[in-house]
Amino acid sequence: MKGAWNWTWKAGSILLLGYVILRGFGTPLQPGLVTATPSQLRIGTDTIVLAAAGQPFASEDDAPADFHVVLRAGDQLLQTETVEVTPHSVRLSVDVPATLPARALDAFVFTPAAGTLFLGNACFVEEAAKGDIPAAVRADAPEERAPQLGFSFPYQPNIIESIRNLLWHVPMWFAMFFIMGLGFVASLAQLRTDSADWDMRAEAAVKTGLVFGLLGLATGSLWARWTWGAWWVSDPQLNGALVTVLLYSGYLILRAAMGDDDRVGRLAAVYNVFAFIMLVVLLMVLPRYTESLHPGKDGNPGFNSYDLDNSLRAVFYPAVIGWGALCYWMYTLRLRMNRHAYRLLSR
Amino acid sequence: MASARHTLRTAGTIAGLEWQLEWRQGHQLAAVGLFAIASVYVAFQASDHNTSAAGWTAMLWLVHLFSGFTAIGRLFDRERTDVRRYLQWTAEPLGLMLGKLFHAVLTTTALTAVVLGAFVLFLGWPQEVDTPGKPGLLVLGAWMGGLSMTTTLVFVSAVASQIRAGGSALAAVLGLPLLLPQLILATRLTRGALADEPWTMLVEYPVFLGALGAGTSAIACILFPYIWRA
Repeated sequence: MKGAWNWTWKAGSILLLGYVILRGFGTPLQPGLVTATPSQLRIGTDTIVLAAAGQPFASEDDAPADFHVVLRAGDQLLQTETVEVTPHSVRLSVDVPATLPARALDAFVFTPAAGTLFLGNACFVEEAAKGDIPAAVRADAPEERAPQLGFSFPYQPNIIESIRNLLWHVPMWFAMFFIMGLGFVASLAQLRTDSADWDMRAEAAVKTGLVFGLLGLATGSLWARWTWGAWWVSDPQLNGALVTVLLYSGYLILRAAMGDDDRVGRLAAVYNVFAFIMLVVLLMVLPRYTESLHPGKDGNPGFNSYDLDNSLRAVFYPAVIGWGALCYWMYTLRLRMNRHAYRLLSR
Repeated sequence: MASARHTLRTAGTIAGLEWQLEWRQGHQLAAVGLFAIASVYVAFQASDHNTSAAGWTAMLWLVHLFSGFTAIGRLFDRERTDVRRYLQWTAEPLGLMLGKLFHAVLTTTALTAVVLGAFVLFLGWPQEVDTPGKPGLLVLGAWMGGLSMTTTLVFVSAVASQIRAGGSALAAVLGLPLLLPQLILATRLTRGALADEPWTMLVEYPVFLGALGAGTSAIACILFPYIWRA
């Protein structure tokens, strides 16, 4: 019975991660508007092209008239005429009036299948005077349309396709927290019992956790480059992550410096307990009290800013379990190596 | 189990002993002071009488950091071997830790005064600091930053002193990453105070630094008995 369970959960973790990779990369992204060109409109008849990312929101043979587009200035709507629709863009002809309630225009594209797409501050009319939109070009609020898309990931401005990184970056840090927590418990037990086995558990946990911490840093760095434009920024959450990884590297240096000193278990356990408390302070306490770019922080411990919708949840939770189980599996392998080495050396 | 009174008495004795040691081996204290002042003088020469707030902050904390290392990094292995052995058998660990911490707090306070004083003497403030509360905030920030660095260094020094060879080199390796959070907060505070940010926005930083120092001291006190007679 025990033997069966022993391979079932490992096979399960592989299956889950396979599902996560297939689903994570295979699921299309809901369409969303990215840019409007030109960003400046002139008074009179002008044309503008709205470009979208994600899966196509129209097919080649859709009629332009089915795509209703309005521009919003302040609290009033400006009507447009859809000239041409391609799978990833829509070209409009706009009669820009001389008076607008605001100079910045938001765009709403009402599509038959993909619901309503929105782009805030899509374009500007520098020359416009302040005033109402003339009744001739004013639009009524069109009917809101619900998307009729299959299984797809939500579109987030700036994040766009990189939302798939959620299935790597976040579960990797979760796995790191989990295994470091295990190491913390093992170190506490080591201090209580002074047994070599608990020390081996703590060491295996820290080594595994460091791998996941480094992976978390790498995936986070990629994400930062995409969304914030730099591989690394000075941010409380990022500083905390870096310091945590350095701290745990210190654990390994401490062990290496001690060599075969018989007090290594004791000292390493003391250091590890300290390191874990610092991890909690650095990654979970301090970033919440200081402003941070990182989502889920800035006084908001929840996950709301990810807009985790059901399609994303269906892949995210398996990813958390899958990465966690893989991490634990790696830990058990490392622990077995440690135990064998200990047995060989103490013979 | 030792009583609280006994622990406090041990702490007092250790602090007194450290104080005596400091005066007898006067060269140690003098060495730290010399290091601090010489570093500030190098900063003064390098900056050519013209420092930006950011540069001033960077130099202040670099000097403060390494003076702290010099002063506190070897706190746990500066007694002679026989004295140390004697303490190991007689002194109660918690009391010993408290005594060392108390001594470290005093040393850091003096060190902060020396470093900050030398900075103001040689480099001057990088810009006007006559806004009410601002000099106080800068001094408080330097002091709190120093204290929270010091408590971490005490812990690191205690761990490193248990290693037979290369302990002091290891203290530097282990200490630097541990001090990064404190330094990030402290530099942020100093830079903010110099850049005319309202003090109400910055007053949380000394509180964070103080809390970090207090927390580190508490953890050090809890964990120290496990390594002292290992």
